[in-house]
Amino acid sequence: MGAAVAEWTVAAVLLQVAGLSLFLYGFFPVKPTLPGFSGAESYRAPSCGPVGCGEGPALPPDQLRSLYRELSEVPHVYDRLVLMVIDGLPAEFVLGRGGKPPAREMMESMPYTQSLLAGCRAVGYHAKAAPPTVTMPRLKAMVSGAIGGFLDVALNFNTQAFLDDNILDQLHTIGYKLVMLGDETWIKLFPTLFYRQDGVSSFYVKDTVEVDFNVSRHLESELAAKDWDALILHYLGLDHVGHIGGRQSNLMTPKLKEMDDVIRRIHAAVTSIQDNSHRTLLVVVSDHGMTEVGNHGGSSYEETDSLALFIGHSVESSHCSPYDQKEALQVDLAPTLALLFGIPIPKNNIGVLLPELFNSLADDQKLRTLELNSWQILRLLQKQRPAFCSEDCVDSKDDFGADMLPESTEKKLCRLLSKAFASHRSSLLHRDSNFRSVEAAGLFGAAVDSYSGFLRHASEWLSHRATDKPLYLLASAISLMIISCFSLAGIISCIFKGPPQIKVEHHSELDLDKNWHLDEVFILMGIFLYVASLGSSSFVEEEQYIWHFLTSTLYLIFLIKTVQSILKESNSTLVHRSETKTFHKNNSSYLASYKLIPGQQDGCKLYTVLIVLVAGRILRAWYQGGINWVHFPDISKILNQSDSSIVKSLQTISVLAVVVLYSVSLMLLRTRRILIIGLWLSHLSCGLLVMLHIWKSQVDTSVPINNHSTTSIAQIFYVIASISVTCTFLLSPWIFPTHSKEAEPTSSSGSNPEKAHGLNHSVFLTGVTYTMFWCLLQLLLQQPINAVPVLLILLQIISSVIYFSLEKSLHRQWVQVVAMQFLGMTGHFGLGNTNSLASIDVAGAFIGISSYSTVLSGVLMFIITYGSPLLLYLGMVVHMSVKDSNDISTPQQWSSVLSRMIALPCLLPLLVNSIALTSYTIVLLLMRNHLFVWSVFSPKYLYVCAATVCTYAGVLVIAMTGAYTCAVLSFRTRNYRDKSVDQIDG
Amino acid sequence: MGAEVTQVSAFTAVLAHALCLAGLAAAHSLAGRGALLSDPAHALRLLVVCEAPLVIVVFSLLRRDPKRCSFLKAAARGLLGLPIGAFLNAFGAIVLGAPVGIKYWIATTYWSCLMSLFTFVPAACVFGASKVDWQNVLSHSIYGTSSNVADYMISAPSHGAVIGAWLGAWPMPLDWERPWQVKILTATF
Repeated sequence: MGAAVAEWTVAAVLLQVAGLSLFLYGFFPVKPTLPGFSGAESYRAPSCGPVGCGEGPALPPDQLRSLYRELSEVPHVYDRLVLMVIDGLPAEFVLGRGGKPPAREMMESMPYTQSLLAGCRAVGYHAKAAPPTVTMPRLKAMVSGAIGGFLDVALNFNTQAFLDDNILDQLHTIGYKLVMLGDETWIKLFPTLFYRQDGVSSFYVKDTVEVDFNVSRHLESELAAKDWDALILHYLGLDHVGHIGGRQSNLMTPKLKEMDDVIRRIHAAVTSIQDNSHRTLLVVVSDHGMTEVGNHGGSSYEETDSLALFIGHSVESSHCSPYDQKEALQVDLAPTLALLFGIPIPKNNIGVLLPELFNSLADDQKLRTLELNSWQILRLLQKQRPAFCSEDCVDSKDDFGADMLPESTEKKLCRLLSKAFASHRSSLLHRDSNFRSVEAAGLFGAAVDSYSGFLRHASEWLSHRATDKPLYLLASAISLMIISCFSLAGIISCIFKGPPQIKVEHHSELDLDKNWHLDEVFILMGIFLYVASLGSSSFVEEEQYIWHFLTSTLYLIFLIKTVQSILKESNSTLVHRSETKTFHKNNSSYLASYKLIPGQQDGCKLYTVLIVLVAGRILRAWYQGGINWVHFPDISKILNQSDSSIVKSLQTISVLAVVVLYSVSLMLLRTRRILIIGLWLSHLSCGLLVMLHIWKSQVDTSVPINNHSTTSIAQIFYVIASISVTCTFLLSPWIFPTHSKEAEPTSSSGSNPEKAHGLNHSVFLTGVTYTMFWCLLQLLLQQPINAVPVLLILLQIISSVIYFSLEKSLHRQWVQVVAMQFLGMTGHFGLGNTNSLASIDVAGAFIGISSYSTVLSGVLMFIITYGSPLLLYLGMVVHMSVKDSNDISTPQQWSSVLSRMIALPCLLPLLVNSIALTSYTIVLLLMRNHLFVWSVFSPKYLYVCAATVCTYAGVLVIAMTGAYTCAVLSFRTRNYRDKSVDQIDG
Repeated sequence: MGAEVTQVSAFTAVLAHALCLAGLAAAHSLAGRGALLSDPAHALRLLVVCEAPLVIVVFSLLRRDPKRCSFLKAAARGLLGLPIGAFLNAFGAIVLGAPVGIKYWIATTYWSCLMSLFTFVPAACVFGASKVDWQNVLSHSIYGTSSNVADYMISAPSHGAVIGAWLGAWPMPLDWERPWQVKILTATF
C-alpha cells in the first residue's frame, strides 16, 4: 500500500506543478521587450522587415551627437541637465490638489519654487508613478520610460546594473559627462556611467540631516565646475522625514525649506551662465509620494502622486495657471528629456512627451517630435502585435470620417496613427508652399490632436497590455490543480479508511471513536474560513491576523480539552489510576518516561499549551500590522529605535538558548556516542560563530558593505553546519542498537519495542539536529531584531511536540500535524513577513556570499523568508519520532511502519497547501480586473507559490529522513537476524 | 422535579434569558447609539453595571438545589464567579490578540466582565461547585444527550456568546469598522 500511496502522491504533486506553471505562464505574461539601444534608425519610419543593423556604436561620441542632431531635424533645446530627485516628495506639496494651491505653510516653506511657478518660469506636473512605489523601479521607469512587467519587478530584486535602453546611457554615448550625487541606488543601477559620483546610502532611516548635507556639500564646487553636462542630485532626507513622522512631521517644513534653498542655488547658478552653449534645464522630480503616515510602496493616490517640475527657458511663458491639475505619467519624463537633448528615445518607452516643454520650437518641429515619439511607440506595438506591421495600418487612406462602431483597439490605434501621419503630411505640404493661414494652423492643430490621441491611447494600451490573458489556458491550469487537490484528498481518505482496525482496536479504551471532535471540526471550519477570506484584499493584506487567530484558537481548544480530560480523570481517578499508569508505561517514549506521575504530567500538558499561547501572543506583538496598519506600534519598532546593545544582547541570549536546548535534547538520548559528542561540539562552535558574526557585524554598521571577516565567518558556518547535518542524516540510523543485548533475537515480541526504540532514537536525533542547526542558520541570516521571534517559534515547536507526546490519545494525528503547520504559518508572519514584496529581507541574502550570485542569494532569501514554515517541517521530524512508538508494536513490516510514520506528515501539508493554492488561484482569476490585482493579489500569489515550493521541500526532507532511516534499520535488523540464525546454527 | 434538584422548565429558562436580554437592551439604549464605538470603555461599563445584578439575581433564583443552598449563597457565588470568569475571558482575549497596554486595559476589563456575565456567572450561580455539571458545560457533548433544561439554559448561550465573539473578531483586519463588530472590536482596538 505504501508504494501505491507514494506513487499517487508524486503524481498529484506533478499535476499540481504542471497546473501551477501553466497558470503562471498564462497569468504573468513576460512582456516582449526590445533588446538593445536605439540608434540612428529611430529617426526613420519603422518598418517590420529585418532591420539593417550595422550602424552601431562605432561612431565616436561627437560624431554620433551631430549625426543624431542632423537626423532628428529638431534642434536640441538644452545643453545641460540638472536632474534633482527629491525622494518621496508628493506633488501635492508643491502643486496643490484638484486645482487648488497647496496649503499655506507649504507655500511658505518653498518660497522660491512657488515664485518660479507663479512667475510662469516653471511648469509642474502631477506625474503618476506606477506601483510599486519604491525607489529603484521608479528610477528605472524615469530613465527608460518603461514600466516593468510585474514579474520583472518581482524577479529583479538583485538586479544591480540596469541594462535596458535609457536616457542616461544615451547621453553617455553622445559624450555627455555625468555627475551623480546622492542615493547610491543610481550607482548600483549605473556602475560605470558616472564621471564623478558620491553616493549616500539610505541605510540609516533615522538620519534626516546628514544624508542631505552629504549631497549639498558638493553643490558649490559642482555648480562652479563646467566640466559636466548632466548633474543628478538625489535627496533622501524628505523620505526619511516621512518615514519617521509622516506628512505632518515637524521636520517637514525645515526639510522643504532646505530643498527650496537648493533649488534656488542651482537656479541662480545656471541662470548666471546662461549663454547659447550652456542652456540648462533644471528638472525637479520625486520618485514617489507618501501616505499620510509617510509610507510608500502601494498604489494609493498619495503614494503615486509624484512631482515633475521643469525649470528652463522653453517653459517660460507670459501667462499661466500654475495650480491647474496637470496630469502626466512618470514615464513621460524619458521621451521628453530625450527629445529635448536630441538623443533617441529609449526603445521600450511607453511615455508621451510633455508638449509644454517644447514651446520654444516651431510648429513643424513640434510635429516632428510627436512623430518621433509615435514611431518609437509604433515599433514597440509592432513587436507586441504583428498586426501593426501591415502597411495598410500606417498608410490606409480610407474613411477618416467614419467614426463607426466599436472596433478593436488595434484598429482604433491604426486609424488614429494614419490620421496623424496624413495630417502631418498635409501640414508639411502647406508649409512648403509657404501658405500660412488659418487652414495651416487648423491642419497643425489636427495633426497635434491626432498624434497625441494616438500616443495617449497607445501608451495606455501598452501599459495595460498585461491584463489580457488566455482564458482557456488558465482554466485548464486551474482544473489540473483542482484534480491534484482532490486526488490528494482522496489519498488521505484512503489512508484513513485503510488501517482503521489497528487504531481503533488500540485506542478503544481511550474513547477515540468515530465522532468528530471540537478541534477537528474547528480545523475544517478554520481552513474554510481562511479560504473564504482570501477573496478580500484587506484580509490578504492582514493575513497574519487570520493565522494568529486560527492558531491560538486551536491551541485554546487544546487547552480546554486538556482541562476537560484532567477533570474527567480526577473524577474517576480511583478507577482509572492503575489503568492510566500501565498505559503510560506502555507507550513510554523517553520524553514521557521522565514524568510518570499523572499530576505532574497534567501540569506539564497545561504548561506546554500555555507556553505556545503566550509565545504566540508575543510573536504577534512583535510585528503588528501587515500592509495597511504598518504604523501600529510594536516591539520591533521600539527595539529598532532603542539602543543597539539591547538588540545585540537579545540576539546573544537567543543563540545561547538554542545551544542549551540542543544540549538538553541530546542528553535525553542518554548515550555518549562519539557522533553525539561531535555533533554537540559542532553545534557549539556554530553557535560561537553566529555570536562572533553578530558582534562583528554590529561593530561596523557604519560600513554596510559586508566586509571580509564576517563573510568568511558565515562561510565557515555554512560548511560546518552542512557537514554535521549530513553526517547526522547518514549515520544516525547506524549508531543506535536495534536490539538490546538481553532480548531474545528470535522472539519478535521482545524485539519489536526495541526496534521501535532504535527507530525513534535515530529519527529524534536527526530531527533535533535539523531543527537546531536550522535555528542557528536563521539567527545568522535574519535581521537582528528577529532573533527573539526565532527563539519563540522554536519554543512553540518544542512545547507542542512535548504536549503531543504526552497527549497521545486526545488528538488524532492529523490534528497534530495540521496544528504544527498552522504554527509554521503564524511564525512566518511573526517574523515580520507580509504579503507585500517590500518586506522581503534582501540584505540578509548576501550574508556569507563573497561574489554576486543570483542563485545563491535567491536561495538564502528563500531560506530567510520561509524560515518558520521550514522550521516547522523539520520539527515535524522530531514530532514523528516521539509520536508513534506505541503504534508500531504489532506489524512486522518496515514498509508499513514507514507508511504509518510519514504518510500523514507528508500528505497533510501537501493537501492543506494545495487547497490554499487552488482556491487562491481561482480567487486571482476572478479578481483579475480588480483594482488591487497588481498591488495586493499578485504579490500574494507569488508568496503562495513560494509556500508551495517550501511545502515540497519540507515534505521531501520528512520523507527522505523517514525512508532512509527505515531502510537502514530494516537492513540492520535483517543482518542481525541472519547473524543470530547463523550463530544458532553454528 | 427531582427530590433535591430543581428541574427548571423550558418556559422559565426562556423567561430568564428574555429578562437578561431586556436588561441588556435597556443598558444599550441608555448608553446611546454608537457609544460602543465612540467611547467603548464607558458604554461597556454601563452594560456591565446594568447587567450584573440582573443576571446574578435571575440565575440565583434558578439555582440547582435550593434546599441546601440559600439565595444569598448563590448570589455570592455569582459575585465570586464574576472576576474569575472575567480573568479567564481576558486571558482568552489577550491570547487571541487583544492589545496589552494601559490605554486599552480598562476596555478589556469591562469587556471580559461582560463576557463573564454571559458565560461564567450563570453557571456559577446555578451549579455552584459541582464538578460534573461544570464538566458538562465545558464539553459540547450535552447536546442531544442531556434531558436537563438547565444544562441547555446555561451552556447553549455561553457557547453562543463565545462563538459569537470569536466570529465577531474575524473581520477585524478589514479596514472598515462597523458597529456590529461590537464586542471584540472594542476589546481589541
